[in-house]
Amino acid sequence: MNNVVKRQLRRSAKRTSLYIVLVGIAFIIIFPVFFLFSFSFMSDYETYSEWPKPLVPSFKANFMIDKNTEGYHLFIFNKSEDGFMPFGPLVFANNEKDIDSLRKFIKLQSNCKISSQKIVEYLKVVDNNSRVEFSIKKDLLANYILFFKVVNGAPKAVLNSLMVAGATILISLSIGGLGGYAFARYFFKGKNILKLSVLFVRMFPAVSLAIPMVIILAKMGLYDQPLGLSLVYSVGQISMSIWITASVFMSIPVSLEEAAMIFGTSKVGAFWHVTLPLALPGLAACAMYSFIGSWNEVIAAVVLTQFNPTFPVVVYKALVGSQGQINLITAGSVAQALPAIIFTLIIRKYIIQMWGGVKV
Amino acid sequence: MRPDLPAAFLSGYMMTITKDQLSLSKETRKKMVPYLLIAPVVIYYSMFWLFPVLNAIIESFKDVDGIWTFGNYIHIFKDPVFYEALSNTAFIVIFSVTIEFILAFGLALLINKKFRGSSMFLFLAMIPMSLPAVAVGAMWSSGLATRGWLNSFLMNFGFIDDASKILFLAGGKMSTMLLIIIIDAWTVIPFVMIILLAGLQGVGEDVREAGAIFGGTKFQILRKITIPMLKPTITTAMILRIISAIQIWLIIVLLYGFNRLPVLLEQVVLNYDQLGAEYFERIGLALSVVVAIIVSAAAIFYLKVSGSFEKEEKQDE
Repeated sequence: MNNVVKRQLRRSAKRTSLYIVLVGIAFIIIFPVFFLFSFSFMSDYETYSEWPKPLVPSFKANFMIDKNTEGYHLFIFNKSEDGFMPFGPLVFANNEKDIDSLRKFIKLQSNCKISSQKIVEYLKVVDNNSRVEFSIKKDLLANYILFFKVVNGAPKAVLNSLMVAGATILISLSIGGLGGYAFARYFFKGKNILKLSVLFVRMFPAVSLAIPMVIILAKMGLYDQPLGLSLVYSVGQISMSIWITASVFMSIPVSLEEAAMIFGTSKVGAFWHVTLPLALPGLAACAMYSFIGSWNEVIAAVVLTQFNPTFPVVVYKALVGSQGQINLITAGSVAQALPAIIFTLIIRKYIIQMWGGVKV
Repeated sequence: MRPDLPAAFLSGYMMTITKDQLSLSKETRKKMVPYLLIAPVVIYYSMFWLFPVLNAIIESFKDVDGIWTFGNYIHIFKDPVFYEALSNTAFIVIFSVTIEFILAFGLALLINKKFRGSSMFLFLAMIPMSLPAVAVGAMWSSGLATRGWLNSFLMNFGFIDDASKILFLAGGKMSTMLLIIIIDAWTVIPFVMIILLAGLQGVGEDVREAGAIFGGTKFQILRKITIPMLKPTITTAMILRIISAIQIWLIIVLLYGFNRLPVLLEQVVLNYDQLGAEYFERIGLALSVVVAIIVSAAAIFYLKVSGSFEKEEKQDE
């Protein structure tokens, strides 16, 4: 009896410690990512005028207008100072020009939208009561919108990135898929070398591969073109595709194909009507994996593009050249990271299955 | 064909040939299938990998005027920065790969159980490996700046005050490298863990249970059953890690800029992209050949030490 209780205790203690470790790991993983997201929603004022910076972006900002003999003064609530701080022009008057520039300043610095009429209304209240406090809802996506407006060529870069990713998927899945099928179903000489090719192609640094590719692509007329970049990305992605599709095809029994052939279809027909439909989810996962690879890549893209950069290049240049403020750059980074994270969420089971099938 | 040959003979001759060819080709065709399937891969690799690689190697032995020379390599080996980059890279690789592997292996052993929310947890673990390198750079440079989120966090919870802000990025060489190793570990440990987890799932619970029935202790089971069965997976993970660890540079440049902590690949990019002259481009090419040789040597050395070559030979027998 005592033993049973002891064992149960031990088991639950084990369980608890497992969950404690899991929560710890999850915390370590999420902690920096949380701040990346958090910064991307912060206004310039929060980022640069509050110290310590808030951990969570606020959803609204509080303002105060008061008045003395010189004119009106605008204040904003500063959380770290726990009080109202002067904000914007020292003094402004109740005229169209001043109010319009005030409106623009509020929008730019605190990501809050307010109409000129509303300001005039508040000024009337100030005239009667000597001060007015009001809060405005923050436009949370303002940094994202501004990033695409301010950073040169960002929308076009997204389009370029999508084209590169699309072409990379087409090339790597068709060529790598054939290879993967051969891998899964046949024995042939050089199988081991092909298996190791995924390592070989990584041994020569990608950036160094990109340098001679400049000349080769220029000769083909594909330098600074999305297709040219995808030709380079496909080198790495084909070998990944071979690994992934091989494990996908291995999981589909040959007997199914043989059964279809007994019923009179050809080998090609059996592949087309039996194996391919069954392999489709795995192949889709493979396509998404290629997408993530090409969507995230930056170094070869820096070398191989000039006027048609991909999205990562734009974010990279903004970060290295400090073109934008850090809240803008984090917004760009999150915009770049989101598709990759979402696709990873979709294919998470296949990633485990895929690495299970990979052995040097 | 000779025109004076009788038509009947000719047609008979041709028929036998075609029949012969057909019967032959059915055999060979079957054997050909896998080669046809992998032909596009081989063609693609030779066009877009082998050709540029050979090109890079050849160009690295030429000077600006196209004359054969060892000058580019001599320049590299005379440059003290190269040796600094080499030793920095070696330090980072040895420590980061070791630490990452030990931690990832421990975590994989711990997590290799069915528990509620395991699918969600694995997704979380995959986030660092799916984050674009630039986003990782933005994340840490916004965090490690003196007025970044890490100091803000510590201040908000009262661990430090404004006067004792930690200057993460201003440290000396050793602390710079440690910081890089920690950041690299954050990015990579989940990836190594997932590879090892996938391998552990292949080992299967029953084998280890059998070990336990025969009286093995936990440590014995780990040493005598789990690790040997996991060896191919461990080799895969280690090789992939060694290859990419030697090629570390982007996170360093995003945090510190060029030349603050020279590493091998950073010097390639510096020569090629930043200095801009063709003379330096060729040095960059030569340096990338050197890096590729170092990477391959390290990978082969690991394969040799871990005994993966012996295993392959055994399979061939």
